[in-house]
Amino acid sequence: MDHGRFEELKDAYVLGALPEEERREFEEYLAAHSERQAEIEELSAVAGLLALSPQEQEPSPELRRSIMGLVEPEAERRRASSRSWLAGIGEHLSVRNLALGAAVLLVIGLFSWNMFLQGEVRDLQGQVQNLQAPREESRMVALKGPGAAHGAQVEVMILGDERAVLMAEDMPPVPKDKTFQIWIIDDDVPQPSGLFETREDPVATVIDQPLSGADAVAVSVEPEGGSPEPPTHPMLMAKL
Amino acid sequence: MANRGRQYLLLADEDLISLVEANDAEAFAVLYDRHNQAAYSLAYRMMGERQSADDLMQDAFLKVWRGAGSYRSERGSVRTWILSIVHNRGIDQLRSLASRRRTQQKIEASAPRSQPSEAFAQSWRNSQREQVREALKTLPPEQLKVLELAYFSGYTHVEIARLLDLPLGTVKGRMRLGLKKIKDYFDSQDMAVPG
Repeated sequence: MDHGRFEELKDAYVLGALPEEERREFEEYLAAHSERQAEIEELSAVAGLLALSPQEQEPSPELRRSIMGLVEPEAERRRASSRSWLAGIGEHLSVRNLALGAAVLLVIGLFSWNMFLQGEVRDLQGQVQNLQAPREESRMVALKGPGAAHGAQVEVMILGDERAVLMAEDMPPVPKDKTFQIWIIDDDVPQPSGLFETREDPVATVIDQPLSGADAVAVSVEPEGGSPEPPTHPMLMAKL
Repeated sequence: MANRGRQYLLLADEDLISLVEANDAEAFAVLYDRHNQAAYSLAYRMMGERQSADDLMQDAFLKVWRGAGSYRSERGSVRTWILSIVHNRGIDQLRSLASRRRTQQKIEASAPRSQPSEAFAQSWRNSQREQVREALKTLPPEQLKVLELAYFSGYTHVEIARLLDLPLGTVKGRMRLGLKKIKDYFDSQDMAVPG
C-alpha cells in the first residue's frame, strides 16, 4: 500500500466498510506509519458520530437483568480468585518480609562495604607506597585445605601488622544460599572477618579484623549472610 | 451497598471504567444505565429487530465488562468507546451469512425511511444527538445512504457499489464527501467533534 491507496481507503476504513483483506492491509500500513494515526483517529471520531443518530430505542428491563445475571457471578468469581491469590501472598508474606529485610540489610551492608572498600583502597594505596619503602614489611600466606578445596589457590597478603587482603582463585563451587566466610583465629577463638563470593574469579577481599597477634586465618562455607558462630570444619586454613 | 451505588451515580465515566476494571459489577451497572439507550438505539438501528439487538447488546456489554482495561481515554470518551464496541460487534454479526440475509430484507423494506427528511424528523432529547442529526441533515441523500449502508448495515464499499449499481470510485467519493461534510458542519458551528 502506498500513500495514494491509503487516502483512497481511509474513509471506508473508519466506516468499517473495508473487506477483511483490505482492512488488514490498511492496518499494516497504519502500524508502519504512526504519523497517520492521529488523522485516522480524528476521522474515526467523525464516523463515530453516526452512532448517535438513530432514533432512540429503549432496551427492555429483561435485557439489563440478563446482562447483570452474567456479570455479577463473574465479578464474584474474580473477587474470590483475587482473594485466594491475596491469601496465598499473605501466607508467603512473612517469608517475603524476612527476605525483604535481609535484602535491605544486604544493600545497606553492601553500600557500607563499598564505602569501607573505598577507604581500604586509599589505605592500601598508602600501604603500597609504604611497601615500596624498605623499612615496611609485607608477606604472603597460602591457605590449604583438603578435599574439594585442594585445588583452590588462596593467599592472604598481610600489609604491616594490621591490614590484610585475601585473594582466592579456583574455589570449589558452593550452593547459591551459601557463602565463604573468613575467620581470624586469636588464642584459639575464631573471629568472623568478612565474607566473599566467587562469582568472579579470582576475587580479592579485605579482611575485616586486624591480624596483629593472630594465630591463624581460615575460610569456611557458611549460610548466606555469614555465621556468627565459629565453624567446626574450616575449608582452608593457614598459620600466621 | 445502596449508599455506594448512589455515590457511583456521581462518578465520571472514566472513574467508573476504572472500577469496572477492578471487577466492580455495581459500577458496571451504573455505566450500563447511563449508556444503554444510546447503545441500544445503535444496536437496533443496525440489527433491525429487538431480539438481534438484544443479542448484540449482551455481546457488546460483556465485552465492555471484560475489556474495561483496554479503554484509553486519550482516544475518546467512554460513550464513544462503548458505541464503537456495539458498532464493531454489530458489523461482525451482520456479516455472518444468516444476519446478512435478514439485513438484506430489512434494507429493502426500510429504504424509504432512510431518507434524511424522515430519518431526522424526530424530536431529540439529547443536544449532542441533535447536533449530529443536524449535521447529517446537511448531507445529500445519496451520501447519507452510502454512509448508512456502510456504518449501520455492515456492507463493504464493494458490496455497496454492487447494491446501488454504482462504480466503486463513486461509493468511495460519497463516503469521503459525506464524512467531510459532517466535519465541516461541526467546524462551521465552531464545535469540536464529540469524542
